[in-house]
Amino acid sequence: MSKITSAIGGFFGSIGRFFADFGKAFAKGDIFVKLSLIWWGAGFIARKQIVKGIILTVLEVGIILFSIFFAPQYVSKFGTLGTVKFEQVLDQTTWQLVPNDYDHSFLILLFSLFCFVVWLVAFIITIRCVVNAYKLQLRAQSGKHVNTFLDDCKDYLDSKFHVTLLTLPIIGIVLFTVIPILLLIFVAFTNYDQWHMPPGELFTWVGFQNFKSLFTSGGLTVSFSYAFGRILGWTLVWAFFATFSTYFGGILMSLLLNSKKTVVPKLWRLLLVITIAVPQFVSLLLVRYFFADNGIVNTLCARVGLTALLRGWGLINTTYIPFLTAPIWAHVTIILINIWIGVPYQMLIATGILMNLPSDQLESARIDGANKFQVFRYITMPYMFQVTAPTLVTDFVKNINNFNVIFLLTDGMYFTTNQMLANSQAKETDLLITWLFNLTQNYYNYKMAAVIGIVVFIICAVFTLIAFNFLISGDKEGVYN
Amino acid sequence: MKKLVALALCLVLALGLVACGGDSNSNNSNTNTPSDNNTPSDNNPPADNNPPADNNPPADNNPPASGDAIALTVWGGEEDQALLGELVEEFKAAHPDQTFNIQVGVESESTAKDTILTDPQAAADVFAFASDQLDSLVNAKAIQSLDDMDAALQALAGVSVADVKTANSASSVEAASRNGVLYAFPMTAGNNYFLAYDPDFLNEDQVKTWDGLLEAAAAQGKKVAMTIASGWYNASFFYSAGFTTGLNEDGTTSADWNGTSATGIKGVDVVKAMQAIASSPAFFSTNDLPAAITGGDVIAVVDGCWEDKALKEGFGDDYAATTLPTFTLNGQQVQQYCVSGFKFVGVNPYSKQAGWAVALAQFITNEESQVKRFEQRKQGPTNVNAAANPAVQENVLIAASSAQDAYGVVQLVGDNYWSPTESFGAQIAQGTIGSDDAAIQSALDDLIAGITAPLA
Repeated sequence: MSKITSAIGGFFGSIGRFFADFGKAFAKGDIFVKLSLIWWGAGFIARKQIVKGIILTVLEVGIILFSIFFAPQYVSKFGTLGTVKFEQVLDQTTWQLVPNDYDHSFLILLFSLFCFVVWLVAFIITIRCVVNAYKLQLRAQSGKHVNTFLDDCKDYLDSKFHVTLLTLPIIGIVLFTVIPILLLIFVAFTNYDQWHMPPGELFTWVGFQNFKSLFTSGGLTVSFSYAFGRILGWTLVWAFFATFSTYFGGILMSLLLNSKKTVVPKLWRLLLVITIAVPQFVSLLLVRYFFADNGIVNTLCARVGLTALLRGWGLINTTYIPFLTAPIWAHVTIILINIWIGVPYQMLIATGILMNLPSDQLESARIDGANKFQVFRYITMPYMFQVTAPTLVTDFVKNINNFNVIFLLTDGMYFTTNQMLANSQAKETDLLITWLFNLTQNYYNYKMAAVIGIVVFIICAVFTLIAFNFLISGDKEGVYN
Repeated sequence: MKKLVALALCLVLALGLVACGGDSNSNNSNTNTPSDNNTPSDNNPPADNNPPADNNPPADNNPPASGDAIALTVWGGEEDQALLGELVEEFKAAHPDQTFNIQVGVESESTAKDTILTDPQAAADVFAFASDQLDSLVNAKAIQSLDDMDAALQALAGVSVADVKTANSASSVEAASRNGVLYAFPMTAGNNYFLAYDPDFLNEDQVKTWDGLLEAAAAQGKKVAMTIASGWYNASFFYSAGFTTGLNEDGTTSADWNGTSATGIKGVDVVKAMQAIASSPAFFSTNDLPAAITGGDVIAVVDGCWEDKALKEGFGDDYAATTLPTFTLNGQQVQQYCVSGFKFVGVNPYSKQAGWAVALAQFITNEESQVKRFEQRKQGPTNVNAAANPAVQENVLIAASSAQDAYGVVQLVGDNYWSPTESFGAQIAQGTIGSDDAAIQSALDDLIAGITAPLA
């Protein structure tokens, strides 16, 4: 817990320092430092850093022009997301449809967001300009060397090389990751759906309405809270079994393959790795037909009399075994199929780690008379766990969002007979993520997709934070050694 | 040196990001997912998670002055490409004083909606789609009202919207209209279902009633297949008894199945009739009809024109098709209805050349084009004159389909309709509802609560 508080403290501390530096610089700086607040280049040109000053001035003029000529047409409409609806009239001479000067809600949202990011960056540059101008002033006053432009360039290839390296990737991340995520968050507060799809229609802000309709008054559908509870339960059960079954399966498999008694271990390993080489959706679609009601597995089971046996025990009342078409049966089958898909990955990881197992400890244990199980229990497993615990946590989160396996195995195959679930477009085998997909993607319900996306993100984030902080505290290594 | 390598790597990474995030408008449209006309477009909402984003060139942004080439893009199914190319050439020939630059792209009728709604402004000027997608397109204003284009249609194609309405069958025009406004040109009929059977095992009398059909199949140890876990198929029993569904302004569905129909039949009795059919040992409920047909045990199936290949394989080249049988409801025989389905051609409201787009859409769906479509693609015409052609009537599937269309219902439903009805069908197939009136009534009430639920 102390780690979290210190991390949060550190974050706010650095923001505080950022402004404290600025306050100090602005208060104590000379006229050029103060002028830097409105003319970025002033402080640098005053200290003979002409080129740097010009570059910053040009950049500032560019941002000002951007703010005057580009930004207003979008940002001014940000509050309403547009008011003029799309209309067209038929031109009787060219037979073309002529649109009016309409507002495009989505473009308004997107470009406004872009403007905000640009202005935030401009704000940070302004502050940094003042701080740096003050630093330069201090250097000049104390008679130290003031960098020329060439010196600066050399710095950026030498002591500040990391800055040079990271500039482009960071710009890329802001443009293609940060802005889309912000956009998603904003969409959660609008009524963007099939009936409000630009450019034909406008959409607008609805505040917390979508969150309200998700969590109160029955929720998104007539039986929402029932379906949400059922699906969340299965999602967690699935994530638990999917993660730990493949984890231990992988370790046992690699121990088996590493054992000196195993003949041609390389062949077995190769066969297992082939499962990885075949694209998952191909193998899953094949397996799905193997396990279909009239599939090859059912034919085999009927031939050897297994179907009749299960029927005699009253476990099934159909002429086939409903591997993927009845609740419980489907749940177990999905977890088993996932073991088949997931074990090879874990086996590869475990093999790598087992090879690095300190042999002195194994030997001393053997001399002390420990049997194989004791060696596994007290040496192999603790070592494995210490190394692989972080992947265990990420695997768990990954399985919460394991869309592929569930969707490919059950879509168009599993039909729920639970009307309450069906009324929420759900079925027993759905995870939160596949349910989200059914609820929104098929119906262009972008606003609720954004809301549920945020909720799933929060669930995963909270879980990951807790798991990392409480399950894998940093002193494990010390305990083991 | 190391630094150079690091810098180069960073550049590559950044450029990669730019390339990925940037516009992926590649040159032509032929990279779209192949169409699959083998399914009744989407009786379930489409499961296609990644609609091919925008690999089609947007329409020309600069409307040319009159006399310049008119640039248009047409989307049609993969199997229709050759025919469309031919029709486009004929269209050009029919307007010799105007130059055109018309591109034909691949977009399956069953997934057109998904691609168009991703970005309507980048979609084709003229596109073919299955009739059940009309509501989504109208909701999103991604399809042009043809009533508003009447003047252009008369000036450029020489026919009025009223002419189009009279030239095509009434049910197809009804399905292509919303609130009395025509939104699309009917192109093909036959997206409905009927009974196909193997005449080696069944005779014409036996296929007239479900009772006779199931009895004959059971006596021979064979089965009759139908997809009952689907609101597209199982609604037919309710429609047969006079029940209705409707689509409200706000996108919700209205349905009266848990009450009494206009013809005085109770919903509970319809469910009992369905249970009687589904509980027969000869009845086989499946969502994979082609596999069932070719599997060997099935000798009759409720299916549509798209199944020609599987039917030949399963039932032999001499397979027969006819209207759906009657079923026993309250001791009386009631004709089973079907849900009518069509393929339409629509016009993009954001087309830069909307007038010519409408003229082209009309041309590829007129009587001559529909006759051609039947000859080359074996697709049933909606055009009344084309349908009267003796060659059309001789085609087993199309004849059965158009005979069944007399008992066809245009299914108007909203998004919340599909999942509850699918589950209800599954419950009937697996016999989980129970047979007493109270249990059936409460199951029906639950079903209707789901169907009519408000949309968030």
